[in-house]
Amino acid sequence: MITFDRVSKLYGRVTAVGDLSLEIASGEIVVLAGPSGCGKTTSLTMINRLVEPSSGTISIDGRDTAGMDVNALRRSIGYVIQQVGLFPHQTVAENIATVPRLAGWNRRRIAARVEELLEMVGLPPVEYGRRLPAELSGGERQRVGVARALGADPEILLMDEPFGAIDPVVRVRLQNELLRLQKVLHKTIVFVTHDIDEAVRIGDRVALLSQGGVLEQYARPVELLAHPASPFVAQFLGEGRMVRRLALLSVRDAHLAEPNGSGLPAETVGADASLRDALDAVLRAESGRVTVRDADTVLGVIDSESIREASR
Amino acid sequence: MSIITYIVDNWGTLGPQAVTHIEIVAMSMAAAALIGLILGVFAARSERFSTLILGVTSTLLTVPSFALFGLLSIWVGLGNPPVIVGLVLYALLPVVRNTATGIRAVDPAVTGAARGMGMSPIQVLARVEMPLAAPAILGGLRQATVMVVAIATVGATVGADDLGQPILEALGRSSGTLVQVLAGVIPVALIGLTADLILAGVQRTLSRGTAREAVG
Repeated sequence: MITFDRVSKLYGRVTAVGDLSLEIASGEIVVLAGPSGCGKTTSLTMINRLVEPSSGTISIDGRDTAGMDVNALRRSIGYVIQQVGLFPHQTVAENIATVPRLAGWNRRRIAARVEELLEMVGLPPVEYGRRLPAELSGGERQRVGVARALGADPEILLMDEPFGAIDPVVRVRLQNELLRLQKVLHKTIVFVTHDIDEAVRIGDRVALLSQGGVLEQYARPVELLAHPASPFVAQFLGEGRMVRRLALLSVRDAHLAEPNGSGLPAETVGADASLRDALDAVLRAESGRVTVRDADTVLGVIDSESIREASR
Repeated sequence: MSIITYIVDNWGTLGPQAVTHIEIVAMSMAAAALIGLILGVFAARSERFSTLILGVTSTLLTVPSFALFGLLSIWVGLGNPPVIVGLVLYALLPVVRNTATGIRAVDPAVTGAARGMGMSPIQVLARVEMPLAAPAILGGLRQATVMVVAIATVGATVGADDLGQPILEALGRSSGTLVQVLAGVIPVALIGLTADLILAGVQRTLSRGTAREAVG
């Protein structure tokens, strides 16, 4: 668990982060989101002490980070940035080996780890291990960046707008890959973005910051979209909150009607589909009702009324 | 008399002079590389130090070599020593300037990532900044070497027994010929070219990733 206790960062008279208190639970993805100048990157880099707080404490599992050896602290935390920052003179394998090498692992263990990580991020080791960063696409570089951050299997991963410079199609793919990895790895991930759609898609929780590092709301995405705590939050979330929220809810969250005598609607939707997909199916269906199936089992029938109820 | 037969006939003196010439250049460049690298690293870190050291080293280059060697011989005596010291001073500017520029040109995202992964400042310098600045540093060493090979000939005026001697002798005698001057100049040019070619090769091998990165 990472705990911010009344943390502030001042640059001269300018407050970048003001009196921030925040608890980030182990194994969760917490997104720090907000407009530029809200101090989200400053907050992130105070965790690995690339920026030192002006006041307040940040502790990891109850230990104040200010008292730790700074390089040891950083080696225990994975760090991914938007520009990736791969070492251009080193191969992909050498880049990924950075932290294990700093930690003094032996050659064989490093080689095995590099191979494992390349497989994990979907880059075949034989094909990619010996390439230089200049020989990779933007998406591939960012994957190597993630693999490098995971080098020594840190408990915590800090990601500073990692997909910000990637084109939208690849970005969604990388987001999905991160979520898939997280299901296996259960890391504590702190993720910075200015893109609210990315925030609600990726985050278990979202901390929304405004100018000067003021925490406006800290909540699960479904909660954030349903109940913005302030006009600032509502404005930052933008139009169509309730419809976008449907994408985060599953058909399983809805109360399904029993199939009645008139028979099952021909249109079907899977039980793991989002409510947004279900609504889409409902709007397309002749009868306004759609059968929910889990493989061969019929679970019930969903209509616009049950979607409306589930969304509230 | 052809220049080639002259060089062959006088190889007994020209040979040892060429060896001395190379020795003087090698010693000066080794010292200049070491001192220049250290000063260059500090110059890359501090804008004020950079202004100061580049000012001093470029001023040194404006001092005529003839005068500099003469002055230095007052303190370190005649022969090779004042020449070596003087050449080190001349070689500093390109080495310091290129080292500082090379290090400053390293992408801040790359050094930021290195620090963020837990590299100490020394590790960032040794494993990231120096390798990436290597092509620029080698470029500075090449410039300095070619320059020093030529200026070393002036060392003959303070008694260095290098390839400046045949030139000096020919110029100092009414009977001196163009062939005698060329007997000093041509080996000097060959030494300069050879050193440049070798260093260019080193530069290419050390440029892995950096040149292509600049394009992509």
